[in-house]
Formats: sequence, C-alpha cells, structure tokens
Amino acid sequence: MEYAFITFRSVTFGQRGEKLLKGGGIRCVLQRTPRWMEEQGCGYALRLPGADAARAVQLLRANQVPMRKIYVQRGDGELEEAAL
Amino acid sequence: MIYLDSGATSLRKPAQVYRAVERAMRTCANPGRGGYAAAMAASRQLYACRETAADLFDCLPEQVVLTTSCTHGLNIAIRSLVKPGDRVVVSGFEHNAVTRPLHALDVRIYVAGRRLFDWEDTLADFRRGLEDGAQAAVFTHVSNVFGYILPVERMARLCRERGVPFIVDAAQSAGTLPVSLKQWGADFIAMPGHKGLLGPQGTGLLLCRDGAEPLLYGGTGSASIEQRMPEYLPDRLEAGTLNVPGFAGLTAGMAYIRAAGTERIFQAEHRQLRRCIRGLGEMGVKVFAGEHQAATLSMLPDMDCEAAAEAMAKRGIALRAGLHCAPYAHESAGTLQTGTLRLSYGYDASREQTDRFLQEASKLFRSGR
Repeated sequence: MEYAFITFRSVTFGQRGEKLLKGGGIRCVLQRTPRWMEEQGCGYALRLPGADAARAVQLLRANQVPMRKIYVQRGDGELEEAAL
Repeated sequence: MIYLDSGATSLRKPAQVYRAVERAMRTCANPGRGGYAAAMAASRQLYACRETAADLFDCLPEQVVLTTSCTHGLNIAIRSLVKPGDRVVVSGFEHNAVTRPLHALDVRIYVAGRRLFDWEDTLADFRRGLEDGAQAAVFTHVSNVFGYILPVERMARLCRERGVPFIVDAAQSAGTLPVSLKQWGADFIAMPGHKGLLGPQGTGLLLCRDGAEPLLYGGTGSASIEQRMPEYLPDRLEAGTLNVPGFAGLTAGMAYIRAAGTERIFQAEHRQLRRCIRGLGEMGVKVFAGEHQAATLSMLPDMDCEAAAEAMAKRGIALRAGLHCAPYAHESAGTLQTGTLRLSYGYDASREQTDRFLQEASKLFRSGR
C-alpha cells in the first residue's frame, strides 16, 4: 500500500489531526517525523494511506489544523514532498 | 474532619482522580519527546487534558496551556500584555496573584468597584477606569475572600468595545460557573487545577487567544534546531517536562465535573451556603452575604479570626482565617485590620458539613473561646 505523511510542528496539532481524520473514517498513525523530513528538528507526523491524502488535507484545512508538509509515495516507493 | 476550605484547594477528590495519577505515574514517559509507546501514552494523556478543558471552556485544545498553578498562568498573561508604566484596570477584589505581578512591573493600577455584591458599582467604576485610558484590564471572576461573583461577561464586553485586552482570573469559578474563552473574547483566562477542577496541586490551565510571551525558556520537543521558542501554542509556553501524572488527575477531575454538571455542583454548594448564612445570622454573627455570591463566605465572629480558626480546627472544622492573600478585597470591604474567617464549600458540599459547623459555631462564638 502507498503511504502519505502529513507533518506537524507540534505533537498537539498532530493529535488534533489524528482525532479529526479518525473521526472522518481515515486510518492513520501518529508517529515521530523522520529526521530528513523536518529541517527544524523534532516533530510529529500522521502516516495514512496515500489514497486518503487529499481528503485528509481537506479535512485538516477545514478545521484549521496547521500542517507543515505532506510527503507522498511515488511509484518507485520513494517519498517526495507534494504541494499542500 | 469537616473540610470547609475548598477555596484553598479541593481536599477530597473523586476516586478516579487518584487512580488516574497512579496510572500515569506507572505508564507515562516524557510527553512530546519520543515515539515509543510510553512516550506516546504521555502525549495522549496531555492531549486528553487539553481536549477536556477545551470542551469545558469553549476553546481549541492548543489554546489550553498547561501550567503549574493559576498564579503561573496569570504571570504569563500579565507579562504578555502589560509593560512597565502601563495603566491597568483591576477590580476591587483581586488576589495577590494578580496585583503582585502588576506591582513588579511598576504599572499604574486603577482599582475599579469597591462595593461588595454590587454589580452596578463594579460596572460603572470599571467603565470609568477604561475610559480614562488603559492598556489592559485584569479581573477576577469570583472573589476568593467573599465569594462575590463579578459581572465578568459585561466587563468583558466593555473591554472588547474599547479594544482593551484583558485577563480573567477564574481561580474560584472554574468548575462551578460557566467560563468561556470564545464568548468572553478574553486574551487569557487563568485557573488552578486543584480547586474546583478537582485535580492535584501543582497543576493549572491558561487559556490563551494569541500573543503570548514565554515566561520560561527551554526544550519543547519541537523545532529543536531553533534557539527561539516556537511561535505556536501550546509549545511556546510549555518549556520543560510537564507534570503528566498531575494532568492525568486533572483530566479525571474535569471529566467528573463534566458528567456532574457545573450548574448542579453550584446549586448543591449554594444550598449549603444559604443554610449557613441563615444559621450564622440567627447567632448574630456578622456575615458578608449578598446577591451574586458563590459558595464562599467571610464572617467576622466576635473574636480574633485566627483564634476562631484555630479553635474550630481543634473541634475538627477546617476553615481559613486572615487576609487570604487578597489585601485589595479586604480594603474594599473594610476588613484589612481584622481579616475574616472564611468558609468555602466544594463539590462535596453537604448538610452534615453545615450542621456540624453551625453546631460548633454556636458554642464557640457565644462563649468567645
């Protein structure tokens, strides 16, 4: 399955995002942001199925949860940053 | 012991509060720092606290900043809004948690409304204070000495209409009266965790709109490369490891309140307050009572108030005497020289408490010893 990562500056934003996505029927896991994704240092990210990424972003935006970045899996399995 | 000092702290907590503290101590690592199960459990615990508070006080979870006390929150709020030399309007019933930080900043303080239980006086003088020019206002929701419930919604509206930022001290109201960051439009609302919210001591909440300045600097588990504190809440105001067991207990306390209902708690406390006022009145004891009163009562027995509290303690009744860290309030009521004997009910207010107190009061105050 292809994954997407939505990163957050604060664990609190990640947690609010997790609740919203799960409430909206999107499976996701809150985890530490891989170091290479976060140039400012520590952070948290939601990992979710790539197919749900667009809907997840829409839901988070509608509820004013500040997102930092989104990474999606390419066909070769590598993750790359996408436009939010 | 008959405990009638809930204005100082809620001594007996619901059973789930103790259980939550112990569970967190056994299972939670450092929140917001790691990704393993025990660290995530700690983060979830803190988020549950923010979420429960956000639901009770009408704000977003990230607007709930976890503090060590109401005083800590008030210091953050005051340092964020007030600069040395500013003119600040306060009510005539403020606690030292408000007035000492203001004095430390060397501000000009306008004290508005000295008459107890008199909303018209409070509002008229507060309006005058704002109209004469003010950079900020700070006011308590309920006087910790007299239980006077100030007209905070109307005071908030006066501030908003004049564009004056304001801070509300909800130390004595959170858990028994409606408190809303959104509806009041407050810049900050500070409250303790261990009084009406039934959490452990060493916990507090600061509800923030924006524009907050840190009081403490240090690690937040976020944006670690940056040497400035993060710009966003709650991280901006939460340097260092938080008291996870304490906030787990506070979450359980708030959940209890949400289930019981603040209005029901208030009514139960108030029934006992009225009964107590009647009983003391029949004994001829001077009591400070009026409309707009929460379940806190000050009285002036015909003896030194500290001696009265000591004698009551010997009879198994816990009351507090003195100035209650609120000289402004005593100055307003004319009791600065004598202090008062204070009785304050909590969520477990009962007829038995009132009757036992009145029984002992009738012996003590009549005999004078």
